[in-house]
Amino acid sequence: MRAWDQALQAVRAYFRGQGSREVLTPVRLPEVALEPYIEPVRAEGGLLATSPELPMKQLLGEGAGDIFQVAPVFRAAEQGRLHREGFHLIEWYRRDADEREVRADVEGLIAAVFVALGREPVLDWSSVGFLPLLESTTSVRLRGDEDAEALAAAVPASWQVEPPASMPAGARDLFAWSALLTSWSDAALDPWLAEQPGGVHVLDYPAPLAALAQLGPARLEGGEVAHRFESYIGGVELANGYHELRDPAEQRLRFERVAALRSGHGLQPLPMPERFLGGLERLPACAGAALGFERLLMLSTGSDSVGDVSLLGR
Amino acid sequence: MDVSDLKKNAKLEIDGTPWVVTDFQFVKPGKGQGLYKCKIKNMLTGSVVDRTYRSGEKLTAANVESKKMQYLFSSPDAFTFMDNETYEQIELAHDVVGDAKFFLLDNIQCDVLLYNERPVGVSLPSHIIMEITECEPGVKGDTATNVTKTAQVETGKEIQVPLFIKLGERIKIDTRTGEYVERVNK
Repeated sequence: MRAWDQALQAVRAYFRGQGSREVLTPVRLPEVALEPYIEPVRAEGGLLATSPELPMKQLLGEGAGDIFQVAPVFRAAEQGRLHREGFHLIEWYRRDADEREVRADVEGLIAAVFVALGREPVLDWSSVGFLPLLESTTSVRLRGDEDAEALAAAVPASWQVEPPASMPAGARDLFAWSALLTSWSDAALDPWLAEQPGGVHVLDYPAPLAALAQLGPARLEGGEVAHRFESYIGGVELANGYHELRDPAEQRLRFERVAALRSGHGLQPLPMPERFLGGLERLPACAGAALGFERLLMLSTGSDSVGDVSLLGR
Repeated sequence: MDVSDLKKNAKLEIDGTPWVVTDFQFVKPGKGQGLYKCKIKNMLTGSVVDRTYRSGEKLTAANVESKKMQYLFSSPDAFTFMDNETYEQIELAHDVVGDAKFFLLDNIQCDVLLYNERPVGVSLPSHIIMEITECEPGVKGDTATNVTKTAQVETGKEIQVPLFIKLGERIKIDTRTGEYVERVNK
Protein backbone atom coordinates (compact mmCIF):
# COMPACT_ATOMS: atom_id res chain seq x y z
CA MET A 1 0.00 0.00 0.00
CA ARG A 2 2.93 2.28 0.72
CA ALA A 3 4.30 1.64 -2.79
CA TRP A 4 0.92 2.56 -4.32
CA ASP A 5 0.83 5.81 -2.39
CA GLN A 6 4.42 6.70 -3.27
CA ALA A 7 3.93 5.85 -6.93
CA LEU A 8 0.70 7.84 -7.20
CA GLN A 9 2.38 10.82 -5.56
CA ALA A 10 5.30 10.56 -7.97
CA VAL A 11 2.96 10.38 -11.00
CA ARG A 12 1.05 13.45 -9.85
CA ALA A 13 4.24 15.38 -9.02
CA TYR A 14 5.67 14.55 -12.44
CA PHE A 15 2.64 15.81 -14.38
CA ARG A 16 2.07 18.86 -12.19
CA GLY A 17 5.73 19.72 -12.80
CA GLN A 18 4.96 19.59 -16.52
CA GLY A 19 2.04 22.01 -16.10
CA SER A 20 -0.57 19.28 -16.65
CA ARG A 21 -3.95 19.21 -14.85
CA GLU A 22 -5.44 16.12 -13.25
CA VAL A 23 -8.94 15.16 -14.37
CA LEU A 24 -11.41 12.36 -13.61
CA THR A 25 -13.77 11.10 -16.29
CA PRO A 26 -16.73 8.69 -15.96
CA VAL A 27 -16.05 4.97 -15.72
CA ARG A 28 -19.33 3.95 -17.34
CA LEU A 29 -19.53 5.33 -20.86
CA PRO A 30 -22.07 5.28 -23.69
CA GLU A 31 -19.34 4.32 -26.19
CA VAL A 32 -15.70 3.24 -26.29
CA ALA A 33 -13.10 3.32 -29.07
CA LEU A 34 -13.42 0.21 -31.24
CA GLU A 35 -10.08 -1.54 -30.98
CA PRO A 36 -9.05 -4.97 -32.19
CA TYR A 37 -9.11 -7.65 -29.48
CA ILE A 38 -10.05 -5.28 -26.68
CA GLU A 39 -13.42 -6.33 -25.32
CA PRO A 40 -15.31 -3.96 -23.06
CA VAL A 41 -17.17 -5.13 -19.97
CA ARG A 42 -20.85 -4.38 -20.44
CA ALA A 43 -22.50 -2.37 -17.70
CA GLU A 44 -26.24 -1.84 -17.57
CA GLY A 45 -26.94 1.11 -19.83
CA GLY A 46 -23.37 1.45 -21.09
CA LEU A 47 -19.85 0.07 -21.21
CA LEU A 48 -17.08 0.25 -18.65
CA ALA A 49 -14.15 2.32 -19.94
CA THR A 50 -11.48 0.25 -21.70
CA SER A 51 -9.43 3.46 -21.56
CA PRO A 52 -10.33 7.08 -20.74
CA GLU A 53 -9.34 8.16 -24.26
CA LEU A 54 -12.69 9.29 -25.64
CA PRO A 55 -13.84 11.41 -22.66
CA MET A 56 -10.36 12.96 -22.32
CA LYS A 57 -10.38 13.87 -26.02
CA GLN A 58 -13.83 15.37 -25.50
CA LEU A 59 -12.35 17.60 -22.75
CA LEU A 60 -9.53 18.63 -25.09
CA GLY A 61 -12.08 19.47 -27.78
CA GLU A 62 -13.87 21.69 -25.26
CA GLY A 63 -10.71 23.68 -24.65
CA ALA A 64 -8.83 21.86 -21.89
CA GLY A 65 -5.05 22.28 -21.81
CA ASP A 66 -2.62 19.46 -21.01
CA ILE A 67 -4.42 16.88 -18.85
CA PHE A 68 -3.70 13.57 -17.12
CA GLN A 69 -5.46 11.04 -14.96
CA VAL A 70 -4.98 7.68 -13.28
CA ALA A 71 -8.08 5.91 -14.54
CA PRO A 72 -9.72 2.60 -13.55
CA VAL A 73 -10.28 0.62 -16.76
CA PHE A 74 -11.73 -2.78 -17.62
CA ARG A 75 -11.04 -5.28 -20.38
CA ALA A 76 -13.13 -8.42 -20.45
CA ALA A 77 -11.49 -11.86 -20.15
CA GLU A 78 -7.92 -10.65 -19.73
CA GLN A 79 -6.30 -12.58 -16.90
CA GLY A 80 -2.66 -13.59 -16.68
CA ARG A 81 0.75 -12.68 -15.27
CA LEU A 82 0.55 -9.24 -16.93
CA HIS A 83 -3.22 -8.94 -17.25
CA ARG A 84 -6.22 -8.27 -15.05
CA GLU A 85 -9.79 -7.55 -16.14
CA GLY A 86 -9.71 -4.40 -14.05
CA PHE A 87 -6.60 -2.25 -13.79
CA HIS A 88 -5.44 1.39 -13.91
CA LEU A 89 -4.08 3.41 -16.79
CA ILE A 90 -2.05 6.57 -16.40
CA GLU A 91 -3.27 8.49 -19.43
CA TRP A 92 -2.18 11.95 -20.52
CA TYR A 93 -2.43 14.40 -23.40
CA ARG A 94 -0.19 17.25 -24.51
CA ARG A 95 -1.53 19.96 -26.81
CA ASP A 96 0.46 21.16 -29.83
CA ALA A 97 2.74 18.15 -29.43
CA ASP A 98 3.49 14.99 -31.38
CA GLU A 99 4.20 11.48 -30.13
CA ARG A 100 7.90 12.22 -29.59
CA GLU A 101 7.08 14.55 -26.72
CA VAL A 102 4.81 12.09 -24.93
CA ARG A 103 7.48 9.44 -25.51
CA ALA A 104 9.84 11.65 -23.53
CA ASP A 105 7.12 11.78 -20.84
CA VAL A 106 7.12 7.97 -20.70
CA GLU A 107 10.83 8.06 -19.86
CA GLY A 108 10.45 10.91 -17.36
CA LEU A 109 7.44 9.39 -15.64
CA ILE A 110 9.03 5.95 -15.26
CA ALA A 111 12.24 7.51 -13.90
CA ALA A 112 10.20 9.58 -11.40
CA VAL A 113 8.33 6.52 -10.09
CA PHE A 114 11.46 4.35 -9.96
CA VAL A 115 13.30 7.02 -7.97
CA ALA A 116 10.32 7.50 -5.62
CA LEU A 117 10.38 3.76 -4.89
CA GLY A 118 14.12 3.65 -4.38
CA ARG A 119 15.05 1.85 -7.60
CA GLU A 120 17.71 2.71 -10.15
CA PRO A 121 15.96 4.73 -12.86
CA VAL A 122 16.09 3.19 -16.33
CA LEU A 123 18.32 5.75 -18.00
CA ASP A 124 19.10 3.97 -21.23
CA TRP A 125 16.32 4.03 -23.76
CA SER A 126 16.65 2.99 -27.36
CA SER A 127 14.26 3.40 -30.26
CA VAL A 128 13.74 0.98 -33.11
CA GLY A 129 11.32 0.89 -36.03
CA PHE A 130 8.65 -1.83 -36.16
CA LEU A 131 9.56 -3.20 -39.60
CA PRO A 132 13.37 -3.06 -39.21
CA LEU A 133 13.02 -4.85 -35.87
CA LEU A 134 10.77 -7.46 -37.46
CA GLU A 135 13.43 -8.06 -40.09
CA SER A 136 16.37 -8.20 -37.65
CA THR A 137 14.59 -10.64 -35.30
CA THR A 138 13.00 -12.93 -37.92
CA SER A 139 14.42 -12.07 -41.40
CA VAL A 140 10.85 -11.32 -42.51
CA ARG A 141 11.05 -8.22 -44.68
CA LEU A 142 7.87 -6.22 -45.22
CA ARG A 143 6.98 -2.79 -46.63
CA GLY A 144 4.08 -2.21 -44.26
CA ASP A 145 1.31 -1.87 -46.84
CA GLU A 146 0.84 -5.58 -47.66
CA ASP A 147 -2.66 -6.95 -47.80
CA ALA A 148 -3.65 -10.19 -46.05
CA GLU A 149 -2.68 -12.39 -49.00
CA ALA A 150 0.75 -10.80 -49.47
CA LEU A 151 1.36 -11.03 -45.74
CA ALA A 152 0.42 -14.71 -45.63
CA ALA A 153 2.88 -15.38 -48.46
CA ALA A 154 5.69 -13.51 -46.69
CA VAL A 155 5.60 -14.98 -43.16
CA PRO A 156 5.87 -18.55 -41.76
CA ALA A 157 2.61 -20.51 -41.96
CA SER A 158 2.79 -21.12 -38.19
CA TRP A 159 2.06 -17.41 -37.69
CA GLN A 160 -1.52 -18.05 -38.75
CA VAL A 161 -2.03 -14.67 -40.42
CA GLU A 162 -4.42 -15.97 -43.05
CA PRO A 163 -7.93 -14.75 -42.24
CA PRO A 164 -10.62 -17.41 -41.73
CA ALA A 165 -13.35 -17.62 -44.36
CA SER A 166 -15.78 -15.92 -41.95
CA MET A 167 -13.73 -12.71 -42.03
CA PRO A 168 -15.43 -9.92 -44.05
CA ALA A 169 -13.38 -8.33 -46.86
CA GLY A 170 -13.01 -5.06 -44.93
CA ALA A 171 -11.36 -6.80 -41.97
CA ARG A 172 -8.98 -9.22 -43.67
CA ASP A 173 -5.93 -6.95 -43.64
CA LEU A 174 -6.52 -5.87 -40.04
CA PHE A 175 -6.89 -9.53 -39.04
CA ALA A 176 -3.65 -10.47 -40.80
CA TRP A 177 -1.61 -7.61 -39.31
CA SER A 178 -3.00 -8.22 -35.81
CA ALA A 179 -2.15 -11.92 -36.12
CA LEU A 180 1.32 -10.98 -37.34
CA LEU A 181 1.85 -8.79 -34.28
CA THR A 182 0.77 -11.60 -31.95
CA SER A 183 2.81 -14.33 -33.64
CA TRP A 184 5.91 -12.20 -33.99
CA SER A 185 5.64 -11.12 -30.33
CA ASP A 186 5.37 -14.70 -29.22
CA ALA A 187 8.03 -16.15 -31.50
CA ALA A 188 10.73 -13.49 -31.49
CA LEU A 189 9.86 -9.98 -30.32
CA ASP A 190 9.11 -10.74 -26.64
CA PRO A 191 12.24 -12.88 -26.18
CA TRP A 192 14.33 -10.15 -27.83
CA LEU A 193 12.76 -7.41 -25.71
CA ALA A 194 13.31 -9.42 -22.54
CA GLU A 195 17.06 -9.43 -23.22
CA GLN A 196 17.40 -5.67 -23.64
CA PRO A 197 19.05 -4.09 -20.60
CA GLY A 198 17.31 -0.70 -20.89
CA GLY A 199 13.95 0.56 -22.07
CA VAL A 200 12.90 0.13 -25.70
CA HIS A 201 10.48 2.22 -27.75
CA VAL A 202 9.12 0.49 -30.83
CA LEU A 203 8.16 3.19 -33.36
CA ASP A 204 6.82 3.69 -36.85
CA TYR A 205 3.98 1.16 -36.83
CA PRO A 206 2.69 -0.06 -40.20
CA ALA A 207 -0.47 1.82 -41.25
CA PRO A 208 -2.85 -1.16 -40.66
CA LEU A 209 -1.83 -1.03 -36.96
CA ALA A 210 -2.25 2.75 -36.66
CA ALA A 211 -5.17 2.49 -34.18
CA LEU A 212 -5.93 6.14 -33.32
CA ALA A 213 -2.63 7.59 -34.57
CA GLN A 214 -1.92 9.91 -37.50
CA LEU A 215 0.01 8.67 -40.50
CA GLY A 216 3.17 10.47 -41.59
CA PRO A 217 6.75 10.02 -42.68
CA ALA A 218 8.73 7.46 -40.66
CA ARG A 219 10.64 8.97 -37.74
CA LEU A 220 13.58 6.59 -38.24
CA GLU A 221 13.60 5.21 -41.81
CA GLY A 222 11.18 4.14 -44.52
CA GLY A 223 8.00 5.53 -46.04
CA GLU A 224 4.65 6.45 -44.56
CA VAL A 225 3.90 4.91 -41.16
CA ALA A 226 1.68 5.47 -38.16
CA HIS A 227 2.97 7.95 -35.59
CA ARG A 228 2.47 5.44 -32.83
CA PHE A 229 4.91 3.92 -30.34
CA GLU A 230 4.98 1.23 -27.68
CA SER A 231 7.43 1.30 -24.76
CA TYR A 232 8.88 -1.80 -23.10
CA ILE A 233 11.12 -2.55 -20.13
CA GLY A 234 12.48 -6.06 -19.65
CA GLY A 235 9.99 -7.39 -22.20
CA VAL A 236 7.01 -5.91 -20.36
CA GLU A 237 4.81 -3.69 -22.51
CA LEU A 238 4.25 -0.54 -20.49
CA ALA A 239 2.99 2.29 -22.65
CA ASN A 240 1.35 3.08 -25.96
CA GLY A 241 1.25 6.56 -27.50
CA TYR A 242 -0.02 8.38 -30.57
CA HIS A 243 0.21 11.59 -32.43
CA GLU A 244 -3.57 11.76 -32.32
CA LEU A 245 -5.61 11.37 -35.48
CA ARG A 246 -8.06 14.27 -35.99
CA ASP A 247 -9.70 13.25 -39.25
CA PRO A 248 -13.26 11.99 -38.55
CA ALA A 249 -13.62 10.27 -41.95
CA GLU A 250 -10.38 8.31 -41.56
CA GLN A 251 -11.22 7.49 -37.92
CA ARG A 252 -14.66 6.20 -38.93
CA LEU A 253 -13.07 4.00 -41.58
CA ARG A 254 -10.74 2.46 -38.98
CA PHE A 255 -13.57 1.87 -36.51
CA GLU A 256 -15.59 0.22 -39.31
CA ARG A 257 -12.69 -2.16 -39.97
CA VAL A 258 -12.65 -3.13 -36.30
CA ALA A 259 -16.43 -3.58 -36.35
CA ALA A 260 -16.02 -5.90 -39.36
CA LEU A 261 -13.24 -7.81 -37.56
CA ARG A 262 -15.56 -8.24 -34.57
CA SER A 263 -18.37 -9.55 -36.75
CA GLY A 264 -15.91 -11.95 -38.43
CA HIS A 265 -15.13 -13.35 -34.99
CA GLY A 266 -18.82 -13.59 -34.15
CA LEU A 267 -18.55 -10.99 -31.37
CA GLN A 268 -21.52 -8.93 -30.28
CA PRO A 269 -21.55 -5.56 -32.08
CA LEU A 270 -20.54 -2.40 -30.21
CA PRO A 271 -22.05 1.04 -30.83
CA MET A 272 -20.16 3.16 -33.37
CA PRO A 273 -18.69 6.01 -31.26
CA GLU A 274 -20.78 8.68 -33.02
CA ARG A 275 -20.51 11.22 -30.22
CA PHE A 276 -16.72 11.00 -30.36
CA LEU A 277 -16.60 11.11 -34.17
CA GLY A 278 -18.97 14.11 -34.16
CA GLY A 279 -16.59 16.06 -31.92
CA LEU A 280 -13.31 14.92 -33.46
CA GLU A 281 -13.03 17.97 -35.73
CA ARG A 282 -12.74 20.15 -32.64
CA LEU A 283 -9.86 18.10 -31.20
CA PRO A 284 -6.79 20.36 -31.13
CA ALA A 285 -3.44 19.11 -32.41
CA CYS A 286 -2.21 16.85 -29.61
CA ALA A 287 -0.40 13.69 -28.62
CA GLY A 288 -1.32 11.25 -25.88
CA ALA A 289 -0.13 8.09 -24.21
CA ALA A 290 -1.32 5.51 -21.72
CA LEU A 291 0.85 3.58 -19.29
CA GLY A 292 -0.22 0.59 -17.19
CA PHE A 293 -0.02 1.61 -13.54
CA GLU A 294 0.13 -1.92 -12.06
CA ARG A 295 2.81 -2.98 -14.53
CA LEU A 296 4.89 0.07 -13.64
CA LEU A 297 4.45 -0.77 -9.96
CA MET A 298 5.38 -4.38 -10.66
CA LEU A 299 8.63 -3.32 -12.35
CA SER A 300 9.48 -0.66 -9.80
CA THR A 301 9.01 -3.04 -6.85
CA GLY A 302 10.74 -5.98 -8.55
CA SER A 303 7.55 -8.07 -8.45
CA ASP A 304 6.82 -10.94 -10.75
CA SER A 305 3.22 -10.33 -11.78
CA VAL A 306 0.54 -7.66 -11.66
CA GLY A 307 -1.28 -9.89 -9.18
CA ASP A 308 1.61 -9.44 -6.74
CA VAL A 309 1.10 -5.66 -6.60
CA SER A 310 -2.70 -5.67 -6.56
CA LEU A 311 -4.00 -3.83 -3.49
CA LEU A 312 -6.82 -6.24 -2.80
CA GLY A 313 -4.87 -9.44 -3.31
CA ARG A 314 -4.26 -11.61 -6.32
CA MET B 1 -17.42 -22.18 -25.67
CA ASP B 2 -15.15 -19.25 -26.50
CA VAL B 3 -11.39 -19.33 -25.87
CA SER B 4 -11.89 -16.54 -23.35
CA ASP B 5 -13.69 -19.13 -21.18
CA LEU B 6 -10.47 -21.17 -20.91
CA LYS B 7 -9.11 -21.64 -17.43
CA LYS B 8 -7.46 -24.28 -15.33
CA ASN B 9 -9.65 -27.40 -15.06
CA ALA B 10 -11.81 -26.38 -18.05
CA LYS B 11 -12.85 -29.50 -19.96
CA LEU B 12 -12.63 -29.57 -23.73
CA GLU B 13 -13.77 -32.01 -26.35
CA ILE B 14 -11.25 -32.50 -29.15
CA ASP B 15 -11.88 -35.11 -31.85
CA GLY B 16 -14.37 -36.92 -29.66
CA THR B 17 -12.07 -37.14 -26.63
CA PRO B 18 -12.41 -35.25 -23.35
CA TRP B 19 -9.37 -33.19 -22.26
CA VAL B 20 -8.82 -31.17 -19.11
CA VAL B 21 -6.74 -27.96 -18.99
CA THR B 22 -3.99 -28.55 -16.42
CA ASP B 23 -1.93 -25.43 -16.97
CA PHE B 24 -2.89 -22.13 -18.50
CA GLN B 25 -1.11 -18.93 -19.45
CA PHE B 26 -2.57 -15.81 -21.11
CA VAL B 27 -0.36 -13.48 -23.14
CA LYS B 28 -1.39 -10.62 -25.38
CA PRO B 29 0.41 -7.80 -27.12
CA GLY B 30 -1.39 -4.44 -26.92
CA LYS B 31 -3.91 -4.58 -29.73
CA GLY B 32 -3.08 -8.04 -31.06
CA GLN B 33 -4.86 -11.30 -30.54
CA GLY B 34 -4.52 -12.94 -27.15
CA LEU B 35 -2.75 -16.28 -26.90
CA TYR B 36 -4.06 -18.90 -24.50
CA LYS B 37 -1.19 -21.30 -23.90
CA CYS B 38 -2.51 -24.49 -22.37
CA LYS B 39 -1.29 -27.86 -21.23
CA ILE B 40 -4.12 -30.28 -21.68
CA LYS B 41 -4.50 -33.81 -20.37
CA ASN B 42 -6.39 -36.55 -22.13
CA MET B 43 -8.97 -37.65 -19.56
CA LEU B 44 -9.04 -41.18 -20.95
CA THR B 45 -5.35 -41.93 -21.39
CA GLY B 46 -3.70 -39.35 -19.14
CA SER B 47 -1.33 -38.16 -21.88
CA VAL B 48 -0.44 -34.44 -21.76
CA VAL B 49 0.12 -32.13 -24.73
CA ASP B 50 0.66 -28.39 -25.32
CA ARG B 51 -2.00 -26.45 -27.20
CA THR B 52 -2.12 -22.73 -27.95
CA TYR B 53 -5.42 -21.09 -28.81
CA ARG B 54 -6.00 -17.56 -30.15
CA SER B 55 -8.63 -14.92 -29.50
CA GLY B 56 -11.72 -15.59 -31.56
CA GLU B 57 -11.31 -19.37 -31.82
CA LYS B 58 -14.25 -21.51 -30.84
CA LEU B 59 -13.91 -24.59 -28.67
CA THR B 60 -16.26 -27.36 -27.65
CA ALA B 61 -16.79 -27.94 -23.96
CA ALA B 62 -16.68 -31.61 -22.99
CA ASN B 63 -19.74 -32.91 -21.23
CA VAL B 64 -17.86 -34.48 -18.35
CA GLU B 65 -19.01 -34.99 -14.81
CA SER B 66 -17.76 -36.89 -11.83
CA LYS B 67 -20.18 -38.81 -9.59
CA LYS B 68 -19.64 -40.29 -6.15
CA MET B 69 -20.32 -44.00 -6.35
CA GLN B 70 -19.85 -47.07 -4.23
CA TYR B 71 -18.25 -50.25 -5.58
CA LEU B 72 -20.51 -53.25 -5.08
CA PHE B 73 -19.23 -56.39 -6.80
CA SER B 74 -17.58 -57.74 -9.90
CA SER B 75 -18.46 -60.37 -12.46
CA PRO B 76 -16.34 -61.78 -15.29
CA ASP B 77 -17.79 -59.06 -17.58
CA ALA B 78 -17.95 -55.96 -15.46
CA PHE B 79 -17.63 -54.13 -12.18
CA THR B 80 -20.87 -52.87 -10.65
CA PHE B 81 -21.09 -49.52 -8.89
CA MET B 82 -23.98 -47.74 -7.22
CA ASP B 83 -24.72 -44.02 -7.49
CA ASN B 84 -24.75 -42.61 -3.94
CA GLU B 85 -27.62 -40.25 -4.69
CA THR B 86 -29.96 -42.23 -6.91
CA TYR B 87 -28.98 -45.78 -5.80
CA GLU B 88 -28.92 -46.59 -9.49
CA GLN B 89 -26.46 -49.36 -10.39
CA ILE B 90 -24.13 -49.10 -13.35
CA GLU B 91 -21.64 -51.52 -14.83
CA LEU B 92 -18.11 -50.56 -15.85
CA ALA B 93 -16.18 -52.77 -18.26
CA HIS B 94 -12.82 -54.17 -17.14
CA ASP B 95 -10.82 -51.97 -19.53
CA VAL B 96 -12.56 -48.84 -18.21
CA VAL B 97 -11.69 -49.71 -14.62
CA GLY B 98 -8.10 -50.57 -15.58
CA ASP B 99 -5.54 -50.81 -12.77
CA ALA B 100 -8.04 -49.40 -10.29
CA LYS B 101 -9.40 -52.93 -10.05
CA PHE B 102 -6.52 -53.86 -7.74
CA PHE B 103 -7.81 -51.43 -5.15
CA LEU B 104 -11.54 -52.07 -5.38
CA LEU B 105 -12.38 -53.13 -1.85
CA ASP B 106 -15.99 -54.00 -1.21
CA ASN B 107 -18.13 -50.88 -0.70
CA ILE B 108 -15.26 -48.49 -1.37
CA GLN B 109 -16.26 -44.92 -2.37
CA CYS B 110 -14.95 -43.77 -5.77
CA ASP B 111 -15.43 -40.93 -8.23
CA VAL B 112 -16.75 -42.32 -11.50
CA LEU B 113 -16.04 -40.08 -14.49
CA LEU B 114 -18.90 -39.79 -16.97
CA TYR B 115 -18.35 -38.45 -20.49
CA ASN B 116 -21.58 -37.80 -22.38
CA GLU B 117 -23.19 -39.79 -19.55
CA ARG B 118 -21.04 -42.83 -20.38
CA PRO B 119 -18.65 -44.02 -17.66
CA VAL B 120 -15.05 -43.65 -18.86
CA GLY B 121 -12.97 -43.97 -15.73
CA VAL B 122 -12.76 -44.43 -11.97
CA SER B 123 -10.68 -42.40 -9.57
CA LEU B 124 -9.95 -43.82 -6.17
CA PRO B 125 -9.12 -42.16 -2.87
CA SER B 126 -5.37 -41.42 -2.97
CA HIS B 127 -4.70 -43.76 -0.05
CA ILE B 128 -6.48 -46.92 1.04
CA ILE B 129 -5.91 -49.47 3.78
CA MET B 130 -5.77 -53.19 2.98
CA GLU B 131 -5.01 -56.39 4.83
CA ILE B 132 -2.08 -58.67 4.04
CA THR B 133 -3.45 -62.05 2.97
CA GLU B 134 -0.23 -63.78 1.95
CA CYS B 135 3.40 -63.20 2.79
CA GLU B 136 6.51 -64.76 4.22
CA PRO B 137 6.88 -64.57 8.01
CA GLY B 138 7.90 -61.22 9.43
CA VAL B 139 11.51 -60.62 10.38
CA LYS B 140 11.98 -58.78 13.66
CA GLY B 141 14.27 -55.83 14.12
CA ASP B 142 14.99 -55.21 10.46
CA THR B 143 13.21 -51.86 10.19
CA ALA B 144 16.08 -49.67 9.13
CA THR B 145 16.96 -51.16 5.75
CA ASN B 146 15.14 -50.80 2.49
CA VAL B 147 14.98 -54.52 1.89
CA THR B 148 11.48 -55.60 0.88
CA LYS B 149 9.55 -58.78 0.21
CA THR B 150 6.52 -59.52 -1.91
CA ALA B 151 3.16 -59.74 -0.16
CA GLN B 152 -0.39 -60.13 -1.37
CA VAL B 153 -3.31 -58.00 -0.21
CA GLU B 154 -6.99 -58.89 -0.03
CA THR B 155 -7.76 -57.92 -3.63
CA GLY B 156 -5.01 -60.27 -4.81
CA LYS B 157 -2.61 -57.49 -5.77
CA GLU B 158 1.05 -58.13 -5.09
CA ILE B 159 2.95 -55.37 -3.40
CA GLN B 160 6.46 -54.81 -2.06
CA VAL B 161 6.49 -54.39 1.74
CA PRO B 162 9.23 -54.12 4.41
CA LEU B 163 10.43 -57.38 5.96
CA PHE B 164 8.74 -56.76 9.36
CA ILE B 165 5.22 -56.89 7.91
CA LYS B 166 3.25 -59.95 9.02
CA LEU B 167 0.28 -61.89 7.70
CA GLY B 168 -3.02 -60.34 8.76
CA GLU B 169 -1.57 -56.87 9.36
CA ARG B 170 -3.09 -53.83 7.69
CA ILE B 171 -1.08 -51.43 5.52
CA LYS B 172 -1.68 -48.10 3.87
CA ILE B 173 -1.16 -48.02 0.07
CA ASP B 174 -0.85 -45.08 -2.31
CA THR B 175 -3.31 -45.92 -5.11
CA ARG B 176 -1.59 -43.56 -7.59
CA THR B 177 1.73 -45.40 -7.44
CA GLY B 178 0.57 -48.73 -6.03
CA GLU B 179 3.26 -48.47 -3.36
CA TYR B 180 3.34 -49.34 0.33
CA VAL B 181 3.19 -46.26 2.57
CA GLU B 182 3.08 -47.50 6.18
CA ARG B 183 1.83 -50.14 8.58
CA VAL B 184 -1.49 -49.32 10.21
CA ASN B 185 -1.81 -50.19 13.88
CA LYS B 186 -5.16 -51.46 14.97
